[in-house]
Amino acid sequence: MMDDRRAIRDDRNRLLEEARARGRGPLIRTWFALLWDLVVVGARHDLAQALRAVMRSPSVTFGISLLLGLGVAATTTLFAFVDAVLLRPLPYDQPDRLVMMFESNVTQDRLREGPSPGNVADWADRNDAFDAITAMLSVSATLRTGDGGTPIAGVHVTRGFFDVFRRQARLGRTFTAAEYEGATSIGSRQPYSGEPVMVLSHRFWQTLGADPQLVGRTINVEGRDWRVIGVMPDDFAVPDATATFWTPWDLRVSYRPRYPNGPPRDARFLRVVGRMKAGLSVAGAEARMQTLASVLEAEHPVINAGWGVRLSPLADEIARTSRLELLLVFGAMSCLLLLLCANVASLAIARGLARAREVAIRLALGARGSLVTRQLIAENLLGAVVTLIIALVLTTWWVSAALSIAPAGIPRLHEVAMNWRVASFAALLALLVTAIGNAVPTLRASRTPIAGALKDGAAVSGSGSGRLRAGLVVVEIAAAVMLLVGAGLLVRTFAELRRVDVGFDTSNLLVLRITPDAARYRTQAQTAAYYRRVIASLREVPSVASVAAITSLPMSTIGSEFTRPFWPEHAGPETRTEASIRMATPGYFDTLRLPVLAGREFTDADEANAPRVVIVNQKLATSAWGDANPIGRNLVLDYQEGAYPYQVVGVVRDNRHDGPRSEPVPEIYIPHAQNSYLVLNVIARTTLDPMAVAQTARAAALRIDPDQPVHSVTTMDQLLGEVVKLDRFAMLLITLFAVGGLITAAGGVYALLAYTVMQRRRDIALRMALGASPRRVARSIVMESLVLAAAGGAAGLLGALALSRFARTLLFGVAPQDPLTIASSVAVLLVVVIAASWLPARRASLIDPSRAMRI
Amino acid sequence: MPDRARSVDRLLPLKPKVLHILLAVADGPRHGYSIMQEVAQRTDGQVRIWPAALYGFLRELEKADFIVESTDRPAAADDDERRRYFALTPHGKRVLDAEVRRLEAIVVHARASRALRKARA
Repeated sequence: MMDDRRAIRDDRNRLLEEARARGRGPLIRTWFALLWDLVVVGARHDLAQALRAVMRSPSVTFGISLLLGLGVAATTTLFAFVDAVLLRPLPYDQPDRLVMMFESNVTQDRLREGPSPGNVADWADRNDAFDAITAMLSVSATLRTGDGGTPIAGVHVTRGFFDVFRRQARLGRTFTAAEYEGATSIGSRQPYSGEPVMVLSHRFWQTLGADPQLVGRTINVEGRDWRVIGVMPDDFAVPDATATFWTPWDLRVSYRPRYPNGPPRDARFLRVVGRMKAGLSVAGAEARMQTLASVLEAEHPVINAGWGVRLSPLADEIARTSRLELLLVFGAMSCLLLLLCANVASLAIARGLARAREVAIRLALGARGSLVTRQLIAENLLGAVVTLIIALVLTTWWVSAALSIAPAGIPRLHEVAMNWRVASFAALLALLVTAIGNAVPTLRASRTPIAGALKDGAAVSGSGSGRLRAGLVVVEIAAAVMLLVGAGLLVRTFAELRRVDVGFDTSNLLVLRITPDAARYRTQAQTAAYYRRVIASLREVPSVASVAAITSLPMSTIGSEFTRPFWPEHAGPETRTEASIRMATPGYFDTLRLPVLAGREFTDADEANAPRVVIVNQKLATSAWGDANPIGRNLVLDYQEGAYPYQVVGVVRDNRHDGPRSEPVPEIYIPHAQNSYLVLNVIARTTLDPMAVAQTARAAALRIDPDQPVHSVTTMDQLLGEVVKLDRFAMLLITLFAVGGLITAAGGVYALLAYTVMQRRRDIALRMALGASPRRVARSIVMESLVLAAAGGAAGLLGALALSRFARTLLFGVAPQDPLTIASSVAVLLVVVIAASWLPARRASLIDPSRAMRI
Repeated sequence: MPDRARSVDRLLPLKPKVLHILLAVADGPRHGYSIMQEVAQRTDGQVRIWPAALYGFLRELEKADFIVESTDRPAAADDDERRRYFALTPHGKRVLDAEVRRLEAIVVHARASRALRKARA
C-alpha cells in the first residue's frame, strides 16, 4: 500500500514533467487527467470500503435510512405542493408583469372589489400603463350532446385576453380582434350577428374524446352552436382549473340593451387581469391607473365617488387562498423532520461510541485520521443514497395520493407533480439530513482517544457525548411541543368552526342545482313557471317537508352573487351603500329555517305584476332604520334599469353566507317571480337523511323537463364541509405530524435513558449496595426525564408562542396563546415523557448489585 | 490439464485495459511508468492508463496471479531503487494466449463476413 502510494506519486511527477516539456496544453490536459484518475479511483476505493462497513450491519443502516427516507419523502411531498402553488413562476411569458386589478374605496372600506364593466371598458381603452387588460366572467352553461345536457363552467373573456396571458393554442388558434367585436354573453337572449366561437380547455377537449378534428366543428352549448376554433395546452388554467371553455365578450355591446348609456359602473364583480408595459413596477402602474381613475371619477362624480384602482401581482392573488395553510403544513413537517434528524443524530452518536474501538484500532495501526473521516463520509454518502432512493419511491407514490385527497380549493393543483425540481429537493434534503444526523460522530472519529477506547471494559462515553445527546432530546421535545400546540390550536379552531351558528339549520337539507337553457327559457315568465313546476314536483317526493329555491345559497359557489346600491327612501340617495341581492322563491326562509324576525315570508301572491317587495336581513335593517320597525317602509334599489322603491315586507335573521369564518353582510331578497334568474339552487328540507332521497328528488325535478341539467346534488352539511375543508385538511395533517413528533421524541427520551442506565450500571449498583431502594433509583431516572421535559417544554412553548402569531389568521375562536391548548399540550407531553422513561427506570431498579459490580 | 484450461476460459474476455497491461509486460518485466508509456505508444495514445488506476489494476492482477512483482532488475545504471518491476506469470501468459486466440477467432470471423469484405473492396 505505502509503496504503491509512493510509486503513484513518482509516476505522476514524471508524467507532469514530461507533459510540461511538451507545452502548456498537454500539461493542463495531463493535470486534469491525473486529478480525475485520483478522484475516481479514490472514491471507488472509499465506497467499496463503505459498502463493506455497511453490509456488516445492514439493518442499522437501512433502519436509519428508512426513518430519514420517510421524513424526507413527507417533506418533499409537501414541497411539491409548495413549489407548484407558491414558488414556481406562472406558466405565462414574463409572469411578473401580470397583475390582478381591483376597484378600491377607502372611505367605504371596500378595498378589493372586482371592477365594474363600465370602468373596465374605459381602463382598457384609455390607460397608458398596460399592454393589454382583460376582464373575465365565469358562467355556468349546458353542453348538449346526444345523451342529454351536461353542466359545464366557462369564462367570458374580453379583448386582449390572450395578449395578457401570451399563450398560444395547442391546437387551432385563439380569437381574432374581429371575433371579440359585438360578442354577447353566452346566456344572452339578444341576437348576435357573428358566428359564436369558443376555445376549449385541454381537459374539456379530452372529455369530448380528444379528437383533433374537433377544431373547426361546432358543439351545442346553451342552445346555440359554437364553432371550436382552438384547444389550449393542459397547463392553461385561467382563472382556475374549473374553466372548460373561453368565449369572446364585448362588454359595451353586451350591456347595451339593459344599459343604453354604457355598461354599469356601480356593479363590481369582474375578474380583471392586466399585462403591465415592460419596465413598469406595480406601484408605477398603479399610480398611472390612479390618474385615470380620478379622470373617470370626475366624469361620473356620483357613481365613481371615492373609487380608485388597486393592483396586486397575479402570482400573489392566485396563491392567496392557501398560502398560509401550505406554509404552516410545510413548516410543521420540517419541524417533524428536524425531530427525526435529532433522533438519528443521537443514534449516530451512540453508534459512533460503539464503533470507537474499531476506529481506534485502525488509528493505532497507522491509518491517517483524514482517511478514517473520509471513509465515514463515504459511508454517510451511501446512507444518503439509500435514503434518497427510499424517499423518491415514497414521494412518487405520496404525491399522487396527496393529490387525490387535497382540497380542490388549492390553486394550481394541476401543476403539482413529481418533477426534477422536486427530485433535486429530495436529493438535497437527503444529503442534508444525513449530514446533520452523522456530523458529530464523523467529525469526531479522527480524534478518537486511542488509549481510552482500547482500554478493556472502559465506558467509551465521554461526558461530552452524553450532554450532546441530552441536548438533542431537548430539541426533540421542543419541536414536539411546538407541533402539539399547533395541532391543538387547529383542532380547537376546527371545532369552533363546526360549532359556530351560521344562522340557519344546516341538517337534513338537500341541495340541487339547475342551470336551464337560456335558449329554451327565453322569458322571465317561462323561467318562473318552470321553477314553480319543479318545486311543486319536488314537494310530492316522500319525506320532503318543504322546497324552495334561491340564486345564491349560503356556502354554495353556484349561482349569481352580486351587490347593488340602495338607500332608505326617507334618507335619500346620498346615503347609498351596497347590499347583496338574492332572488328567492316563496317558502325559502321557512325551508332554510332562517327565522323571519318581523313581517312575513314571500308568498305566491308576490308575483310578477304584484307590487315590488323585498325582505332584508337584520344587519341591513339596523343600518338603514336603526331601532325603528322597517316593515312597510320603502328602500330604493338601483337595479334593473333604474332606481325604484321597494316595500320591505319582512326582516330575517343574519347568516354567515360564505361560511363560519365570514361575517354577515347586508342582504336584500327579491321574489324570484319578480326577477326570474335562470340558475337557481333548489333546497328541500327532508325528514330523513337527505342523500337517501337525492335520487328520487332529482328524478322528480327532471320529470318537468328532462333536458335541463339538474346537477351537483348535495347536502347543506356537505357544502359546509367543503367550506372548512382546507381547515380540516391542515388540522388532520398537523395532528398527524404532532403524533409522529411525539412518538419520535418519546423514542429519543427512551433511547437516551436506556443508554444512560446501561452505562451507569455500576454507579447504580453501588448506590443500591449502599442502601438506595429500587424505588428511589427508578424515581431518579424518571426525574432525569422530567428535567429534559422541562427544558424542552419551555423552549417549545416559547417557540410556539413566537410562531403562532404568524398563523393567527388561520385560527378561529381561539387565541394563539390559548391557555387550555398550552396546558393540555404540556400535559400530553409529560405523560408521554414519563411513559418513555418508565422502562429504563424499571430496568435500573431491577439491577442486581452483586452481579453488576462483578463485571 | 483440462481443469486449468477451463478456468482460463472463465476469466475471458479481459477488460481492454487489462489486456493492454498484460501485453505490455509480455516481453519482459516493466515498471509502472514504462507500462503506461508502452500502452500509450502501442495504441497511439488512444488508451491511457493513469497512475492511480494502474496500480489498482496491478494489485488486482497480482492477486489473480496474472503478474508478479519481479526481482529481476536491469543494470544498476538504468535502475532506480524505488521502481518496482512486474512480470507475467505462467498463468498470466496462458490467460493472455487464450484471450489473443479468442480475439483472433473474432477477427477471422469478421473477415469472412460478406458485408465487411464488400466494404473493403
